[in-house]
Amino acid sequence: MTTWAAMTRAQVPTDEVSYQHSPTGRAVLLSLVPVICPVEAAGCAEAIVDHVALTLGAAPPLLRKGFGAGLATYDLGALPRYRRRARFLTGERAERYYDSWAHGPTPIHTQFAHALNQLMSLACYEQPEMAARIGYAPGPWIEEVTKKRLSVFRDDVRKQDAQILAPDPLRPGVYVGRRKKAGG
Amino acid sequence: MVASSRPGPALIEGARPTNVFTRHELLGDTVLDCDVVIVGSGSGGAPVAAELAEAGFDVVVLEEGSYYATRDFTADTSAMVRQLYRDGGASMALGTPPVMFQEGRAVGGSTVINGGMSWRTPDEILARWQKDHGLDVSPQALEPYFERVEKRIHVAPMDHDAIGNDNWLLKKGADAKGWNIIGNLRNQAHCVGSNRCAFGCPTGAKQSTLVSYIPRALHYGARVYADVRVDRITMNGKRAVGVMGHVALNGGAGKGPSINVRAKLVVAACGAIHTPALLSRSGLQSRSGQLGRNLSLHPNVKVVALFDEDVTGWRGAHQAFQVREFAHENIGTFAAVNLPPSIIAMSLPHKGAQLGALMDRYNHMVVAGLLCEDTDTGHVKTLRGRPQAFYQLAERDAATMQRGLHLLSELLFAAGAKQIILPFAHATQICNADEARKLFANPIPRSSWEVVTVHMMGTAKMGRDRTSSVTDNFGFMHDVDRLLISDASLFPTPIRVNPMETIMALATRAAGHVIDNAKKFLQ
Ligand SMILES: Cc1cc2nc3c(=O)[nH]c(=O)nc-3n(C[C@H](O)[C@H](O)[C@H](O)COP(=O)(O)OP(=O)(O)OC[C@H]3O[C@@H](n4cnc5c(N)ncnc54)[C@H](O)[C@@H]3O)c2cc1C
Ligand code: SF4
Repeated sequence: MTTWAAMTRAQVPTDEVSYQHSPTGRAVLLSLVPVICPVEAAGCAEAIVDHVALTLGAAPPLLRKGFGAGLATYDLGALPRYRRRARFLTGERAERYYDSWAHGPTPIHTQFAHALNQLMSLACYEQPEMAARIGYAPGPWIEEVTKKRLSVFRDDVRKQDAQILAPDPLRPGVYVGRRKKAGG
Repeated sequence: MVASSRPGPALIEGARPTNVFTRHELLGDTVLDCDVVIVGSGSGGAPVAAELAEAGFDVVVLEEGSYYATRDFTADTSAMVRQLYRDGGASMALGTPPVMFQEGRAVGGSTVINGGMSWRTPDEILARWQKDHGLDVSPQALEPYFERVEKRIHVAPMDHDAIGNDNWLLKKGADAKGWNIIGNLRNQAHCVGSNRCAFGCPTGAKQSTLVSYIPRALHYGARVYADVRVDRITMNGKRAVGVMGHVALNGGAGKGPSINVRAKLVVAACGAIHTPALLSRSGLQSRSGQLGRNLSLHPNVKVVALFDEDVTGWRGAHQAFQVREFAHENIGTFAAVNLPPSIIAMSLPHKGAQLGALMDRYNHMVVAGLLCEDTDTGHVKTLRGRPQAFYQLAERDAATMQRGLHLLSELLFAAGAKQIILPFAHATQICNADEARKLFANPIPRSSWEVVTVHMMGTAKMGRDRTSSVTDNFGFMHDVDRLLISDASLFPTPIRVNPMETIMALATRAAGHVIDNAKKFLQ
């Protein structure tokens, strides 16, 4: 058994939970891209579905489990009416089936459709192609204003940095001396 | 770099300041001794750490979230949300309607992701806390603490150049209506309007505790342990003597080695949702029955307004103004809050071609919100060690918000909005003030509201009377020795304005009390 102390730095897991869709979940989500996302997003369908997994990885475990179960139910729920699973529905039939959940018979249906919409819309507009399409380019903007701050306002920025460390005891004259006097 | 969901612009763990330890160093079980252990490094924890470290106390800060530096804050919105927000931002208070809430989980706590609005507690609120809760918190008594906090985190008006079009439109609307609108005071040193406050300030302008109080605490000798989740406070009889926790891995899903800290004073600063859970896991109860109760949320709703003109609201500071005209009606503020497209798309009920058509007008949108001072409270229950919030939006608060939305719509139409999308489950949109009047003439069922919040408060309230409050005037838990609470849970009531500065001022005041009584606390 590997002990923690014996692990090298590189072996320590990274901070993000890696979550993977089940094959059913993935197939259902892929079939929903044309329903929920605009047609321009068709080329990023796989990336959208991958992104949903990233978001779910960070979500509370209960929500993750509930969502997985919801996808399986959504898939099977199409059988009685369409004689095929949701993942195989296309076009108007896929739309109609999704809408039947969105305006669904129970709050659970409605909430699940709402969650699908939220996760996929988020994933859709996180795609660089989609962000660029609508004129959102924060990267260069951040770079530009960061430079401006560090040049135009350099002296004030330095002053604030110095203020953060400068001695300024809350109760002047009181030093309990538990450690050697540090810093200022 | 543009927003991306693909691996690449992930956070880079760069060189950390000495005295910051993370999961990369904490490879075996650890035992530490110190004078003061502080759990949480946000608005409540970090000021106590810095003040006590400077006074010579040996301070250890334990923080469940990771340590990030300014250079780690990229334009990748959803990566930032996953790394900096607890539960990826998907926390929810159960009730009708459910209320989505957000908290930070990183060194710096929620200050890393907050908007930086920095306001003193309104005098009427302090008067209420004095009269109804017996607290020694007159504006005069708190003045030196507010002043000190404002200096440390550089509370200042915005530079004119950094204000974006969305905020100017808000001002235009308020001016047209003749309503009181004020420039925001924010903890920023030359904010240049990158509009990324909620995803970690990438320019270093926002003076979150990550770049103010925490470096100060480190400079004066404090040690900060990131990626450490505290499971419980250790007790010896009625005295808190330290904490036990573990290294949090995989965003908190995995459990690493244990960490045991022995201390003379324990400070719980986990925020209003997690402090009651920590106390409950530690077997601590308040005889008042108020621990975990009295949860206020400042419920918040947002609208998306579409203008003919180009707004490009993401170029400009986050919330440069606040409309305060209706504060006396419990409508705390109206503000313009630009959001990245993915977050707006997520909040819209539209889909497919409709979603696409709307999002194509992203650069013509103004997102505006209102904050309500709530009159009813919810509670936090600890279930299998985890907190779960419950909150029922009161009828009268829903009515207040409905009035607020009507007024906000009027303001936006006065500013030139052509269409407003309202925060109700099924896309409701209005195109002029007449439509607004008709829509808001009848109550809108609470169940269809989309309510969010970022101000959770009140679950360990302060008060003189131990039968009706959890802590004393300074935040020390009644009937427990050496346990200080220092975060938003202390508020006896909601405060109508953004809470960070109040939390910091109370934390500084409590630190002063500890220094004044150092002998007692160091025994
Ligand atoms: C998106 C957003 C925008 C906001 N905008 C503003 C604003 O503009 N102005 C304003 O005044 N307020 C704003 N707020 C609110 C404000 O930031 C918070 O009210 C304030 O920071 C709360 O302080 P706190 O000390 O109670 O908790 P936090 O600042 O949240 O700190 C608590 C810390 O404790 C850690 N923690 C919790 N449990 C444990 C545990 N068991 N072990 C170890 N660590 C633990 C958490 O990870 C967290 O880092 C905003 C909040 C958010 C989320
Ligand atoms: S708007 Fe200002 S404070 Fe906010 S992230 Fe950008 S530079 Fe920082």
